This record gives sequence, C-alpha cells and structure tokens, in this order.
Amino acid sequence: MKSIIPSILVAILIVGSAIAFSSKSASPTTGRGEIRVVDGKQEIAILAKGGYYPPMSLAKAGLPSVLKIKTSSTFDCSSALSIPALGYRDILPNSGETLIDILPQEPSTVITGICAMGMYNFQIKFD
Amino acid sequence: MKTYTFHVVGMHCKACVALTESELKHLPEVRHVKADLTSLSVEVGGDFGDKLPEHIAADLSVILKSHGYTLSLDRPKHIPKWRDFSVAIPIAAIFIAIFILLQKLGVVNLISDGNVGYGTAFIVGLVASVSTCMAVVGGLVLSVSANFAKGGSKFRPMLYFHSARLVSFFILGGVIGALGSVFQLGATGSLVLGLIVAFVLLLLGINLLDIFPFMKKFQVSLPTFITKHIHGLKEVNHILTPALLGVVTFFLPCGFTQSMQLYTLTTGDFLAGGLTMFIFALGTLPILALLSFGFLGIHTKARSSIFFKSAGLVVIFFALFNLLNALVATGYISPFFNL
Repeated sequence: MKSIIPSILVAILIVGSAIAFSSKSASPTTGRGEIRVVDGKQEIAILAKGGYYPPMSLAKAGLPSVLKIKTSSTFDCSSALSIPALGYRDILPNSGETLIDILPQEPSTVITGICAMGMYNFQIKFD
Repeated sequence: MKTYTFHVVGMHCKACVALTESELKHLPEVRHVKADLTSLSVEVGGDFGDKLPEHIAADLSVILKSHGYTLSLDRPKHIPKWRDFSVAIPIAAIFIAIFILLQKLGVVNLISDGNVGYGTAFIVGLVASVSTCMAVVGGLVLSVSANFAKGGSKFRPMLYFHSARLVSFFILGGVIGALGSVFQLGATGSLVLGLIVAFVLLLLGINLLDIFPFMKKFQVSLPTFITKHIHGLKEVNHILTPALLGVVTFFLPCGFTQSMQLYTLTTGDFLAGGLTMFIFALGTLPILALLSFGFLGIHTKARSSIFFKSAGLVVIFFALFNLLNALVATGYISPFFNL
C-alpha cells in the first residue's frame, strides 16, 4: 500500500499539469458577442464549432431577442444543442444559421446553452 | 451416489457455467451437475466408486482443462495485487492527460470542408475518435476488450465487434438515408442512456481492477436463459455479445455520430447514406482498434495485471466523466468545465 501513495501524487501531477496547460491556451475568441438591435428585437450571434463563441454574451433585459447560432462544418458535440431554460433541444444543421426566439427576460437572468454531452456551453446574461 | 463440491478456477462467465455443466454431464459416472458462478463452485453427484475426492477433482480437471478450468477442493485465494497499482495509476494518469490535452488542441477545426463528401466523413470519424466521444465509445471498447482479454480471448471477440459495427453503420446509415428520418432521443431519453452508459462503464472498470472477487458476476454477457439453449456456448458469448455491442455504438450519445446521422438524412439515398456512415465508422477505426487490440502485445501475467488495472482506472474515469456530463447536459448541475 505504501508504494501507491507516491504514484497517486505522480498521477495528480500529470493530470493537473495537463489541465493547467490546456486551460491556459483555452481562450480563443473571448469577447463581447455581436449584439445588434433590429426593429426592437436584439440579435445575439453565437458561433458553434468546437465549443460556443463567445462563451458569454451580455444582452439587454426586457427586450424580445433572437438567438442566431451559426454553424460551419460543425460535426462535434456543439451541433447537438440544448437550452434547458427555453426547453430547446435540437441538432443544428452542419452548416447554416439557426434562429431561436427568446421572450423578454427579467434583469440578471442567465440563460445557459449546453451541448448534448455536456462539455461545451455558453451563457447569455440579461441586464 | 455421493455428492461432492469442488471449487472451479477459471470459471469467470455465465457461459463458462453452462459449459462446465454440459462437459461434466456427459460422463458416465456423473448423475447431476450444478455449477455456481457466485461461489465459483460446482456440485457433482455420481458414482465414483471409492475414489478420493482429490482424485475425482484431478480426473474431472483433465476434461475441463481444454477450456481453461481446473477443479480443486480448497477455495483458491484471491490476491488483489495492490502493488500493481503503483505502476497502473501513473499509466492511467498519462492516458487521461493525453485525453484532456487532445480536447484542447482544437482538432475540430481540421474539418473545414463545406461540402461533405466521403473524404470529410472519414476525417470527421478520425476526429470523433479522439474527441470526447472517446469517453463513451472508446470507454466501452476498452472495457469490453480488456474484459474479454482477461478471460483469455484477446482477438476474435473484438474482430466481431468491429465487423458488426462497420456493417451496422452501413445498413443503419442506409436506412436513415432511404427513410429520411433520424432516430433522436429526447432530454429524458438522453439522460437515461447517459446514466446507463456511465453505470455499465463503472461496473466494467471496477471489474478490471480485480480487487473485489464478487464483481465477477457483472461480466459482459447475454443472460443465461438465452445462452442455455444455444449450442457452442462459448462461441455465442464471444460472437453475439461483441457483435451486438458493435451495433449499439450507433445509438450511443456522441455529438459526431449524431450530426453525421443528420447529414446522412440529407443524402436521401440508401447507398449514399450507408456509405457515409460506413466511411465515418472506418475513420474511427484506427484509434478504436488500438484500444481493442492493445492487449495482444501483453503476454506475461505480471504485466497484464498492471495493464488491466490501468485500463480499469481509465474506464472508471470515463464513467465519471459521462455521469457528470449527462447531469450537466440536462441542467441538473451547472457546467464546471469547458473542454
């Protein structure tokens, strides 16, 4: 049993450094999402490919919104999108645009979109 | 007539029980046989004259030897070999670290072709096999192949698994193309399937660690009531079970498989749909074959114990990964990592 403890430490070191290394290089296009207001409706654009970009969007509360999800040769999990708060669950086309309507939201509401296997997600904050 | 109880060494699956019984039943001295997987024992009733129990055990062992079982009077000791973990844990950690790093490399961006052709389908398959789908399909392949290898059959069951997988991807892909509708699970269905996958992987993984003798019961096999009525029992478990699992991978939760199926839908043709899914499966083959046949190179018993324990740890990691993901995907717990 004694010989197991150092090997557990080695294991923690290996996996820990893999996580640390990967999270450092992991912020490709973080930034404000492109949000435009057209005819009193705000348009929240999100790119779905190997994750969702931007991972966090800030939107205005109290306005009807439309979520515009762009896919471009997307074959990974991000094409299997579910938004539990909206009861939305569908597989997006491999390339194209999908529009999802969102009713006006209360301030400080957060809507989360997740891919079907759970490893990619994005959030929209309303305020 | 007298009844004897022997311990069976090497009887590790449901089919083995039926095989042990059917082999011993044919002996002229034997009146009745009842083997039991839980206690790893066999109860033999018959007329053996005044032979000592030790002699009977030795005589019956000769008959069972070709199947790899031996009988003994004493309960064989179970040795967990804790020391092997000192090597197995770092090996598993390296594998898990590679898996985490692969997710971050952005391999999905390799797929940039707007027109999906058969070439793209192959690349999507390649990428899928190193993606998070590895946690589902790869975990299943690793645990099943390791469990079969532990039982002594390293090559053939996995050969049937992959053949059945390729054939069923062609046929099911063709059906999707021809019918123009796709099999899709709802939120509850996905959660249930995800939980089943996680649970099965957890059991198989713990089984591979070989620390709990009672875990032998949870082997990959068809229920006894089916295997009992089919001849060539060993064959059934080693052909039908892996083949069925190969077909099942078509329906397992994996984003790549699902979006390929959705693309197949648009082909509107049996042949084009079937070929697309077949080539996608072909793309996943190199990595899955590596996980399936990696045990072929391990011959010594000391090494195989280490490798089975490493595989067990990796499979348990995949099981927990799937469990958390299934819960995150339904919104029960908030997402905590963005792989």
